[in-house]
Amino acid sequence: MGWKEAAEPVLTRMPTVTRPDGHVPFKKKLGWTAGILVLYFFLTNITLLGIHPQGGEDLFGQFRSILAGEHGSLMQVGIGPIVTASIVLQLLGGANLLGLDTDDPRDQVLYQGLQKLLVIVMTALTALPMVFAGGFLPPADVLQLGSLTFVGTQIQTLMFIQIFIGGVLILYMDEVVSKWGVGSGVGLFIIAGVSQLLVSGFLSMSDEGFFYSWYQILFTNEVTAGSWLSREGFNTLFIADGGGQLLALATTLLIFGIVVYAESVRVEIPLSHARVKGARGRFPVKLIYASVLPMILVRAVQANIQFMGQILNSQWANMPAWLGEYSDGQVVGGFFYYTAPIYSPNDWMWWTGQVPAGIEVWQIFLRISVDLTFMVIGGAIFAIFWVETTNMGPKATAQQIQNSGMQIPGFRQNAGVVEKVMERYIPQVTVIGGALVGLLAVWANMLGTIGAVDGTGLLLAVSITYKLYEEIAEEQLMEMHPMMRQMFGKG
Amino acid sequence: MDRGQNTGGLMSSAGLVRYFDSEDSNAIRIDPKTVIAFGVLLGVFVQLLTFVS
Repeated sequence: MGWKEAAEPVLTRMPTVTRPDGHVPFKKKLGWTAGILVLYFFLTNITLLGIHPQGGEDLFGQFRSILAGEHGSLMQVGIGPIVTASIVLQLLGGANLLGLDTDDPRDQVLYQGLQKLLVIVMTALTALPMVFAGGFLPPADVLQLGSLTFVGTQIQTLMFIQIFIGGVLILYMDEVVSKWGVGSGVGLFIIAGVSQLLVSGFLSMSDEGFFYSWYQILFTNEVTAGSWLSREGFNTLFIADGGGQLLALATTLLIFGIVVYAESVRVEIPLSHARVKGARGRFPVKLIYASVLPMILVRAVQANIQFMGQILNSQWANMPAWLGEYSDGQVVGGFFYYTAPIYSPNDWMWWTGQVPAGIEVWQIFLRISVDLTFMVIGGAIFAIFWVETTNMGPKATAQQIQNSGMQIPGFRQNAGVVEKVMERYIPQVTVIGGALVGLLAVWANMLGTIGAVDGTGLLLAVSITYKLYEEIAEEQLMEMHPMMRQMFGKG
Repeated sequence: MDRGQNTGGLMSSAGLVRYFDSEDSNAIRIDPKTVIAFGVLLGVFVQLLTFVS
C-alpha cells in the first residue's frame, strides 16, 4: 500500500470552496475579487488580541513585501505558509517523488488535498516560532477578558490561535479568488501590499515621501543639496534616504518598463488547423515562460534561511561568530550575513556611510556574489520545476496543441513531432528566462525603489498586474463573444 | 483536453496554489460567501475583545 492509499481518506476530505456552476459573469468576478481585497485590508488592520503595545520585531523583516500580510495583525503570516508549502511541493513534484499524475482526476484530488494540508501544517510551523520564540510578538503583561485573566503562555497560546486561524483564512481567500474571481489571491495580496507602499512612498508627507522631499529641496532649506555636481549634492539628490531619491525613481520606472517589455518578448511557433484551411494561430513561448512566480520561491528559500538565523539568535545566547553576528536585530557577520540578500542600497553602497560599521568592502562583494549566484541558479532551477509541475513542458503543450486539432505547418500532425519542435525552444527559454528574472530581482533590490518597496516585490507586482490585465482582456473578449468561450474550452 | 486549471487555452498558471476541476464527493464544501462572512466576523470579534480587555 503506497502513501496515496494511506493518505487518501484525509486528503480527499479537506474542505474546499465550491466551484461555480458554469460561467461567472465578469462583473461578478470583479465583485468577488474586490470583496476579498477589502476583507484582506480590513484584516491587516485588526491587531492581534494580547499583543504587547510595543509590537516587537517583524520576523519577516525585509521579506514582508513579498510575503504580504501585516506584522502584529491577524494577517501576520501573510502568504508565507502558502509559499513554503509550494516550495516543498515543487521540489517533490519536480523531482517526481510524489508519483502523482496531474492528468488523472483521482491524483488531482490527492494533489489538491496534499497542497492544502501542507499549507495548514506550514501555517502552524510559521506561527509557532513567531509567537513562542523571543521578541517577535511579545505578549502583553496581562490580559483581562471579563472575569477571565490571562498571563504569559496563555496569552501566547491565544495569539497563536488567532494567527493560525488568520493564516488558514488566507488560504481560503486565495481559493475564492482563484475559483470565483480574477487572477489569484496570492497575486492580489502581493499587489495590494506593494501598491500601498508605492503610493505612500510618493505621497507621504514625511522625509520618505518623494514629492515632499522635492518640495523641501526646492522651496525650503531643510534639505540642502549643495552644488549638483559635488559629491554630497549628487548623493543627496540620487541616493540618500529622505533626499531627492532620483535613483529610486529611475529604478521604479525601469522595472515597469523592463517587465512589460520582457513580457512581450517571445518566440512564436506558427500553427495551422489540420482540417479548417486558413485557421491559423501561434503558440507563444514567452521569454519569461515560467512567469515570475518561481522568483517568490527562491526569495522564500533565502527568507527561511534568515528566519532560522533570527530564531537561533533569539534562542542561543552564545551563537558562534562564524554562524551569525547580530546587532540591533540586523545580521552583520557570519554565515547568515553572507546568505542574506541585498535588500536596499544601504546594504552595499559603502561610500555613503550607511552600511553598518565594521563591514569591509570585500565582505559586501562576497554577499552580493552569493546573492547573485543564488538568485540566478535558483531562478533557473525553480523555473524548470515550475514548467514541469504546471504542465507547460514540451510534452504537455504538444499534447494540448494536438488535442486542439492544430499542427505546425510543414510537420506531420503527430504529438511526438510537435514535442520535438517544442523541445528546441521551451527548455532553453525557461532557463534563460528564469536566470534573467533572478538577475533583475537582485538588480532591483540593489538600486532600491520609491517607498522602499523591496525591488523583487515591485518586480513581482508589476508582472502579476500585467498578467491580470491580460486575463481581464481575455475575459472581456469572451463576454462580448460567447462563441470564444467554447473555443477556449471554458464551459 | 487537459482539464486542469490551464483549461483557459494555452495559458500559464496564475497562482501558487493549483486548483483542478475534479473534486471528491466526500470533500466538505464551503460557500465563498461563508469565507467572506467568517473573515468579517473574525475581525469584528477580535476587535471587540480588544475593546473589552
